[in-house]
Amino acid sequence: MLKRIRHMEKPDLILNIIILLGAVLNLFPLYWLITSSFKTSAAIYKMPPDWFPTTFNIGNYRDLFVGQPAFRWAFNSILVSTVSTVLVIVFSSLAAYSFSKLQFKGKNALYMVFICSLMLPKEIFIVPLFKIVQALEWSDTYMGMIAPTVASCFGVFLLKGFFDTVPDSIRESGKIDGASELTIFTKLVLPIVKPGLGALFILNFVNVWNDYLWQMLMARTKNMRTLMVGTASLMQEINPNFAYKMAGATVACVPMLVVFLLFQRYFTAGITVGAEKG
Amino acid sequence: MRNSTLKKSLSGYLFVLPQFLVFAVFTIYPIFEGFRISLYQTDAVRNSFVGLKNYVDLFADPVFLRSVWNTLFLTAVVTVVSLFIGLTVSIGVFDKSGAYISFIRTCYYLPVVVSTVVMAMIWSFLLNPASGLIPYLMRNMGMGNVNLLGDKRYVLWIIAIVTIVASLGTCMIMYIAALAGISREMFEAAEIDGATKFQRAIYLIIPLVKPTTLYLTVTQVINMLKLFVIVQLLTDGGPNNASMTMMYYLYRNAFKYDKVNTAAAIGVLMFLFALIITLPQFRTLAGIEPKKKAKN
Repeated sequence: MLKRIRHMEKPDLILNIIILLGAVLNLFPLYWLITSSFKTSAAIYKMPPDWFPTTFNIGNYRDLFVGQPAFRWAFNSILVSTVSTVLVIVFSSLAAYSFSKLQFKGKNALYMVFICSLMLPKEIFIVPLFKIVQALEWSDTYMGMIAPTVASCFGVFLLKGFFDTVPDSIRESGKIDGASELTIFTKLVLPIVKPGLGALFILNFVNVWNDYLWQMLMARTKNMRTLMVGTASLMQEINPNFAYKMAGATVACVPMLVVFLLFQRYFTAGITVGAEKG
Repeated sequence: MRNSTLKKSLSGYLFVLPQFLVFAVFTIYPIFEGFRISLYQTDAVRNSFVGLKNYVDLFADPVFLRSVWNTLFLTAVVTVVSLFIGLTVSIGVFDKSGAYISFIRTCYYLPVVVSTVVMAMIWSFLLNPASGLIPYLMRNMGMGNVNLLGDKRYVLWIIAIVTIVASLGTCMIMYIAALAGISREMFEAAEIDGATKFQRAIYLIIPLVKPTTLYLTVTQVINMLKLFVIVQLLTDGGPNNASMTMMYYLYRNAFKYDKVNTAAAIGVLMFLFALIITLPQFRTLAGIEPKKKAKN
C-alpha cells in the first residue's frame, strides 16, 4: 500500500488527496443530519456547535411519530414504491421481450417513440397530467400517485438490453416443446434476465421513493402524504426547531441508504446502461 | 401464410399492449393536451381559444424572462462543473484498487441516494442564519453576517452548488464505468511512450469517454430543467424572484396563481427545449436496432 503511494506521480497523489477530502466533505452533510436529529432544540442553537453529539435525545423522533402521522407516511411510501415497481417490472418486461424477441408490424417505429420519451421529464406535463388524474377522480389516491410512474419507458429500455443477450435457441427449444409464447417468456426467458429485473426493481423503487413534486400534488390530505412529501412539509411549519425537521429527513432517507449499501452492484448496472449503448 | 404472420404479430402486440396503454394515457396524451391547453384561456365561466396569446404574454413577463435566464445559468454552471469534477475525480481514482474506487464512488453517490428533498433540507439547515453552521463559520472567519439565501447576488450560486453536490455522484458512476471499459494495453502503451498521467488524460481519456460526456450532458440539462425541490425548500424562488426557475414558475402558475394556461405554455416551451437538447442522443439510444436486423 505505502509502496504504491510512493510510486504515484506527484500530481496524481495531490489529486487523490483532494478527492479524499472531497469524499469526507460529501459525507459531512449526512453526518450533520443524523447527529443533529438527536440534539435538543437548545443544543441546535448552541454556537460553537457540538461537533460530536453529547446527548442521545430521541424527543425529535417521538414528536415526529406522535405529533405527525409519520407511520402512515412511511406506509404510504412503501406501498406506492412497491406497487409502482411491481407494475413497472411486469409491463416493462412484457414490452421489452416483445421488442427484443417477437416480430410485429411497426415494431421499430413504436420502439423509437418509447425511446424518445425517455429524456422527457414528466414534470413538464404536470398541468395536463393533473387534469387527467382529476378526470379519473384519482387525485388524493394511491392510483393517482402510481399510474404516471408506470408510464415511464426506462424499464423497457433497460430490460431490452438484457433480453437481447438471451440466445434465440432457448425460445426455439420451447417452441419445439409446443409451449405458448407466455410460457416461454415466464418459464424460460425471464429467469435468465433476473439481474436486469433486480436492477430495475432497485432503481425504480428508489426513484419513486425519492419522487416529490407529483406525490405532493396528489396528496391533498395529510394522511395521504408519502415520507418525502410529509418530511418536506415540516419545512413549511413555523416550528424553528431544526432538530425535529432533521429527524424527519433522517427517517425519509435512511431506508434508501440501506438499500443502496446492500445493492450497490445493481445501481451501477442500472445507471450505466444508458451511456454504454453509445 | 398471411394468417400465420398476423398470428405471429398478434403476440407481439399483446405483449406491448399494457405498457403502451399506460404510456399513451400518461405520456403521449398529456403532450398533446398540454399544447392544446396552452392555446386557450380558461376561467370560471368559459374556455376560449386565444391562439398564441399566452406565449406572447409570457415573453412580456419580466418574471418569466428572469426564470428563463436563471434556468439557463443554472443549467450551464451545473452541467459544466459537475461533468468536470466528475471526470477529474474518475481519472484520479480509476487506476487504483477496487476497494478504493468503490469507497470514493459510494461517498460521492450518497447525496444522490438520499434524494434532493433531504439534501435540500440539510442545506437549508446548514445555511439558515440563526442556527446554521455555514453562517457561523463565516462569522468566525470575519465575513460578518451574510444571509446567503436572502441575497440576490449569491442565491443562484448557492442553488448551483447544492445541485452540483446532489448530482456529482451520477457523473462519477458513469465516468468510472466508461474508464473501466477502456483497454489496459492502451494506457500501458502510452505509459511506455513516457506520457504522464495527465497527458494521457487529455489526449487519450477525454476523446474516449466522449459518448459518456454526451449522454451526461443531456441528462444533466434535463435534470436542471425539472429542478424543483431545491428551489422550493431553499428559497421559494426568492428573494424577489432572484432564484425563480422555469419549473418553479410553471408550478406557481398552475397551482398558486391559478393560471393553468400560462403554466401549460411554459411546459410546452420546456418540452421544445428538452426535445432540441436530446435529439442527438436519440440516435445513440436507439442505435441498437440496425445491428440486429442482419440476424432475422
